[in-house]
Amino acid sequence: MKNLLLFLLLPLLLTTGCLDDDDQLDPLREGELALAYRAEYGGQPLDIQRKVYGYPTGDSLKVLLFQYYVSDLELLPADGGESIRLEEIDLIRRRSAAGDPTVERTYLVPAGDYRGLRFGLGVKPELNAMNPSKFAANYVLNEAEFWGPTTRYVFAKIEANAMLEDDGRFDTGLSYHMGSDALYTTVTLDRRFTVGSGRTPRLTVVADVLKALSGNGETFDITAPGKQTVHGGNQDVAVGIWNRLATQFALRVE
Amino acid sequence: MGRWWTILPLLWLACTPEPTDPAAFAAILYPADNPSTAAGVALGERLFFDPILSADSTISCASCHQPGRAFSDGLPLSIGIDGLAGNRNTPGLTNVGYYHLPLFWDGRATNLEEQALHPVGTAHEMGGSWPEVIGHLSGTEDYPHWFLEAFGTSDIDSTLVGRALAQYQRTLVSRDSKYDRVLRGEASYTSAEALGHALFFDLGDDPGGDHAGLPTAECAHCHTPPHFTNQRFENNGLDEAPDLDAFPDAGRGAVSGNPFDNGKFRTPGLRNVALTAPYMHDGRFATLEEVIDHYDSGGRYAENRSANVHALGLSPGQKAALVAFLHTLTDTSFVGSRQDFRRRRAGAGSE
Repeated sequence: MKNLLLFLLLPLLLTTGCLDDDDQLDPLREGELALAYRAEYGGQPLDIQRKVYGYPTGDSLKVLLFQYYVSDLELLPADGGESIRLEEIDLIRRRSAAGDPTVERTYLVPAGDYRGLRFGLGVKPELNAMNPSKFAANYVLNEAEFWGPTTRYVFAKIEANAMLEDDGRFDTGLSYHMGSDALYTTVTLDRRFTVGSGRTPRLTVVADVLKALSGNGETFDITAPGKQTVHGGNQDVAVGIWNRLATQFALRVE
Repeated sequence: MGRWWTILPLLWLACTPEPTDPAAFAAILYPADNPSTAAGVALGERLFFDPILSADSTISCASCHQPGRAFSDGLPLSIGIDGLAGNRNTPGLTNVGYYHLPLFWDGRATNLEEQALHPVGTAHEMGGSWPEVIGHLSGTEDYPHWFLEAFGTSDIDSTLVGRALAQYQRTLVSRDSKYDRVLRGEASYTSAEALGHALFFDLGDDPGGDHAGLPTAECAHCHTPPHFTNQRFENNGLDEAPDLDAFPDAGRGAVSGNPFDNGKFRTPGLRNVALTAPYMHDGRFATLEEVIDHYDSGGRYAENRSANVHALGLSPGQKAALVAFLHTLTDTSFVGSRQDFRRRRAGAGSE
């Protein structure tokens, strides 16, 4: 009889014994939520390479790349309940002149009222410490966005070519690569919305490249040779860009 | 039922993460419709070295992808049937199985299975056609049998040929270069190699680090480890292009149809790069020294030139150090083992 009981329990063990902490057994997903990440420059849709943008120093530039990692994307229930995690890690990347400035995601979430969403800008420390080789080759943490051969990710990149003389040549490369555990920043966007009861809200997280480079009364001086390339160890040079990037996100609800 | 506990080790094994090789890379993504088998790899290897794939049986894959040169050919541009020159340099194949983004210099093939189909019908490569090749393979005594072993059918078609070649290429794995051994703690860099490593990975960026003040060579933004490629397309400043239609070879743009991709080419992996001269998509640089000189110059103007390509200000010693580091990516065991296969095949043929 004891063995028979064990025999009956074995399927249960086999199906539950390997669950990770992150596995959700009963998500109660009832409503669809469309989430868009929109890239802008000065309030207009970001056109990679195609459009010439003005810069507060009087110069102009063409943006080649804008990307950032998002960690622990969560919905915040209006009743103060436990947050609903939508994504552990995501990479929002705009680098093609052929693409749309908006990156779309769709999630099934519990119906209810929400007061906003929250995410970490960058790769959260526990993932940032991991060897990329431990992930699948096509996983979002294997997108060749590494500082070194094994660890630490580049959290965000802005790359552009600037025209600093009025000669029609966008020949000054601007390359701002940012990221470190110290820079990892939690972003909370407050905006009420409801999921369910026939409502399929569309949320748009807006990030503006110009606001990251110039805002809050400060403009990053792209004309200074020492401020045209920020990679790896010289993060202090770009800490202003990072801080502005982290504080300029906006959430729109339709 | 009396030894029910014997299942416990199995349960433990089932719940234990897969073992990881400390020197390994993210695992190869094997296509669901083309899992690798011993018979499939063996067939792919035979096909790779067999000139039967060309119109006049003079050119095999290995004619251009020579094992001793890390599967490149030492020529600026590949030479195909009847001595016809192609328009691109033959890339090496080291660790090509790990690549999961579009292949060829211009990304016209989405994966290895598709890539393998191109050369057969290209006039300046194998110069034939798939119906002819299938006819030749089907008319042999051995190939129908080998396809039966590999794929369960002796009805040969181009898809199965592509799959077999892809399976073989996924075995071209190099992970024992000096660079790998240094990472594993089994070897140490010379002072020149260490300097080159610091330049390659921009360690001079860190104002508080050991290499503070050192120039940054900006290599790893595109040549990202572990395979030293980001598998993406970049304009690295090879050609002056006052407008985007001025590139002598549109590269990626010819495939995507997007003029902003003109002049962009796939970032090649650098493993075994010291064995794959000459360099760039058109083989214009004969040596690694010329390559370093190019990047040190900042390249030529185009509005879509990578923002990470700019004048570097490297000293002669720093340039030499970069070359020394690039040589640490050479894996002689990889090259040697593949040469053995060629000798084995040659020996078998002479018996």
